[in-house]
Amino acid sequence: MTPTPAKRALPSKESSLFRELLNLYETRQLKKGQKTADQILKKFPEHGETLCMKGLILTHMGKREEGLELVKKGVRLDLTSHIVWHVFGLIQKGEKNYEEALKSYTQALRFDKVGFACGLLFQDVGYLSSSHERPDSNSLENMNILRDAAHLQTQLRLYDGLVDTRFLLLKLRPNLRQNWIGLALAYHLNGNLAESRRVLEQYERSLKNVPDYDPEQSDLLLYHVKILEDMGELAEALTLLDVNAKSRAIVDRVTVMETRARLLSRQGPGVEAEQAWRALIQCNPDNTNYYYGFFSSKNIDPGAVTDGDRSSTLRLLQDLSMQNPRTFTPERLELLVVSAEGFRPLANGYLLRGLKKGVPSLFVDLKPLYQDTQKRAILEELVDGYRRALEEGRLPDESPNDVVEEPESDVPTTYLWTLYFLAQHFSHIGQHSRALSLLSSAIAHTPTLPELHTLRGRLLKRLGDLRGASVAVNEARLLDGQDRFLNTKSAKYKLRAGLIEEASDTLGLFTKKDAVSPGADLEEMQSLLYLIEEGNAHRRQGKLHLALKKYHAVRKIFEEFEDDQYDFHGYSLRKFTINIYLNLLSWEDRLWSHPAYIHCAISASQIYVQLFDNPSCARDILSTGKKSVLDNPNKTMFRHAGLSTEEEKKAKKRAKKAQQKQEEQKKAAAATAAASTNEDKGLDLTPQKDDDPDGIKLLTSPEPLERAWKLLSPLLRLSISNIHVWISVYDVAVRRGKYLQAVRALKRAKVLDADHPELHVRTLHLRKLYESLPTSPSSPVGAIVTSALDSLITREMTLEAYNGQYLQRHSDNASAVLGAARGLQILGSPRDEIEGVVLGTLNPEVDLSLKTALDVWSFLKDISSPRADEFRLACDENFDLSTVFKTPDQLAVMNSQQQGTLLKAQDVDD
Amino acid sequence: MTSSKKALSTKVSFASLTQNNLGTVRKLNSVLFPIKYSEKFYSEILLPEVEDFCKLSVCQYILSRLPEKPIALAVYYNDIPVGTICCRIETKDSINHLYLLTMGVLAPYRSLGIGSYTLDVILRAAATHTKPKIGRIYLHVQVSNDSAKQFYERHGFRESGIDEGYYKKITPSGAWVLERDIQPLESEQQD
Repeated sequence: MTPTPAKRALPSKESSLFRELLNLYETRQLKKGQKTADQILKKFPEHGETLCMKGLILTHMGKREEGLELVKKGVRLDLTSHIVWHVFGLIQKGEKNYEEALKSYTQALRFDKVGFACGLLFQDVGYLSSSHERPDSNSLENMNILRDAAHLQTQLRLYDGLVDTRFLLLKLRPNLRQNWIGLALAYHLNGNLAESRRVLEQYERSLKNVPDYDPEQSDLLLYHVKILEDMGELAEALTLLDVNAKSRAIVDRVTVMETRARLLSRQGPGVEAEQAWRALIQCNPDNTNYYYGFFSSKNIDPGAVTDGDRSSTLRLLQDLSMQNPRTFTPERLELLVVSAEGFRPLANGYLLRGLKKGVPSLFVDLKPLYQDTQKRAILEELVDGYRRALEEGRLPDESPNDVVEEPESDVPTTYLWTLYFLAQHFSHIGQHSRALSLLSSAIAHTPTLPELHTLRGRLLKRLGDLRGASVAVNEARLLDGQDRFLNTKSAKYKLRAGLIEEASDTLGLFTKKDAVSPGADLEEMQSLLYLIEEGNAHRRQGKLHLALKKYHAVRKIFEEFEDDQYDFHGYSLRKFTINIYLNLLSWEDRLWSHPAYIHCAISASQIYVQLFDNPSCARDILSTGKKSVLDNPNKTMFRHAGLSTEEEKKAKKRAKKAQQKQEEQKKAAAATAAASTNEDKGLDLTPQKDDDPDGIKLLTSPEPLERAWKLLSPLLRLSISNIHVWISVYDVAVRRGKYLQAVRALKRAKVLDADHPELHVRTLHLRKLYESLPTSPSSPVGAIVTSALDSLITREMTLEAYNGQYLQRHSDNASAVLGAARGLQILGSPRDEIEGVVLGTLNPEVDLSLKTALDVWSFLKDISSPRADEFRLACDENFDLSTVFKTPDQLAVMNSQQQGTLLKAQDVDD
Repeated sequence: MTSSKKALSTKVSFASLTQNNLGTVRKLNSVLFPIKYSEKFYSEILLPEVEDFCKLSVCQYILSRLPEKPIALAVYYNDIPVGTICCRIETKDSINHLYLLTMGVLAPYRSLGIGSYTLDVILRAAATHTKPKIGRIYLHVQVSNDSAKQFYERHGFRESGIDEGYYKKITPSGAWVLERDIQPLESEQQD
């Protein structure tokens, strides 16, 4: 035992006060604790442990800054006390600073003298200092530190260390069941399945008197089976499963059946596996996976049936269909399996059943079959045939051997759903005007079906009429005001059309009434859809600060998702919910690859790159932002309507109201804070007041690239298959002078799509830039970059020739043509040459999509091309239903016309 | 006939009107009737007293608790809104009248028995209604609309007179007044 340092030792009175202080903290009597600490500090103002405890208590009382100050001072005064390090770790954990917290915990354990050295001697060591005898709380305290450390190690995925910590915990307290499971899990997570299994087996042997039907034991046994399965010990896994399922030790019957079927299938095709899957189909005939499992036991993949297996597969499906008459699933699989020759009668039955029943999702259900063009043609023929028959007053299924069993058929609704199907079909294959005209007849037939109006909105959106689309979807919403889906859709379409205020009003119908604004409530509810769509809408209108604000809010939500798992490292062990916990961990590992995060990381880093390349742009936005409300309402093409003075007033009123509300809330919060100072506010960092509500600070940040990099960095370690991520990584890295990161990003992109136009542009850019560098990067990096660059683009060819070849190879692909034009721009070609290339996208043999046309147009404007308007006019003609190529004046005329008709419609007859 | 009626009752359902499906009623009225109804009309059929209206099965119960406020129902066929019916209770000459304000079914869904079925529901509800007792049901039909008149006559209505100049903004402006006495019934009876 090491002697207590002199400055830590306290006289007996103070030492008992300190014990009391610890007790008071444990029982959260914060005010009393603070007083006790002050009592000690009066005599010993330099006592580090007391200072730390006081700091901890103050933090709990909501005085974070002051508390942190004291804790830091305490640590400095007594660097070898485990108490101060433990306190410091607690505070850091509350700030979600897991790395630092873990370091503090490690220190705490180190100075706990015996901690790692001889784990079993704790009982003999005084906990607080060697002068106090507290054997029980001593080991308890150590357990707590170790357990917290284990949670931090799991959070940080430091599985080597986790195994050590869990091992020590088990050694200290082998009688606690969760310590066994903790160790097994730690081995498992660290990839050591064999050890994990050994721990589990030992644990199970030591168990006595397990109650019957114990759900905890059940989940544990399933976990054991899973470990065996992952090890490939299928026979043992099966035995363990069967024995425990029979004795009802595993209570989850469905999981038993599914695991059993899976294990048998993995052992190879056979009768046993087949029976297991058959039993599952009986349980739930609507689960497609069971059918796939069933066929795998016969060595058949329904998605890729060989001609030899086709007829037997169909027969089996028909049998299954007979046995389960209420389900559609086997019939749907038949449509997939059957060859085009035999498709018609089966499709006929399936379609009629769906159309008569009025299944709105019928088209979406059948769309995957369109990969087979023959099947697609047959579907079109059949459904168009029904339409003609119904229009001629016949029933759609007048086949000779069918006696009309139902005299009163659902003719009108069948006709309606037929039109709905056909409209989706023709829109899908690009015949938009035909789709629209079918949809108009459907709406004339039954104007009260919301699906028709939302589909009309979708068609108009595809055609580029965003304003018309939002009107159509809003009509659907008005038909059913309590439908949240329609409400959200309508708001989304308004945001797409640039109607941000209107969208907010619509969303407000469903958000909390006492929220500061609908947007604030949706942000609190973590609505990714809303944040992204509104961010995009602001971005299109050039309000980059507001866009950044929304994108950063998305980032914050994902940080919360990541933090949320922390509590489960302890909870899941206590509750023995192991299998679901493992799912959670692997979900968290893939968290940042969520499409919503990827979208916002890309968009925000594009804005930051834009701000870096053109620093004056932030100033421009801020100065026009103030002016635009007054005199420049039609600044961007997506912006259709400026704020009229009346709307402006309304907006001001709204802002004022929101402010009032905020102030009220603040007052209320202050009042409650004053009422009870003893209230425990916890250690978690409470969100601070937003001091940048409009994102001005984000916009004017001096280091836009660092911010962009921070957004992109969580994506680097994941295998992201979205090529635009790597393009963005390149854009940011190359501007930060990180050539190795840049070239790596391009190599990742090349694996995904070697001919992607964005990649082509970047490759040229890097080559050009790298050659013009005054000094190439130092030796190891330089050599790697050079060789990687050579693998991306051959050195034997001039860049001009390389670009020319690319253009030739993809001359009928509009976005590739645009890529080649941007290549020319990088190579410094004259503007008229670039224009010549890019206007080639208008050639009839080039497939120019609306989106690419918009890209081309904005590129032409970027290079200040005099031919931009020529291009715009051509597109306005090509995309005749779109409104995005109209001039602001044309749009203003269209809007006033639209409003005129709306007013007329409201003309009321009393 | 009975079997087809049974089939119909599984396909037709009713919903009372709320702020939330008012858009559907507006849409239906805009295509069903030559008249544009005022905001007053829509606010009346939404009065809080009728807020808890819901389905056909509880329709009679609702009627029995009904104050002198309109009853309004949306009619669904295979879960698609295809028609509406609105009425209110009036007291004339110390007899309680049920006045049928509007009733209509979208064109493609006519001749399927939906209108008759809906009217039957209202008539039966009126007959079993006690507080107050309904003595008579009446309505207006534009004098050019023979088929509508025939429809109501098939359901036991008879012409009691003509209201000249009833419609202000459409021609012909005259309207037949059709009415039918209601025999109070304790139990269900065929009419």
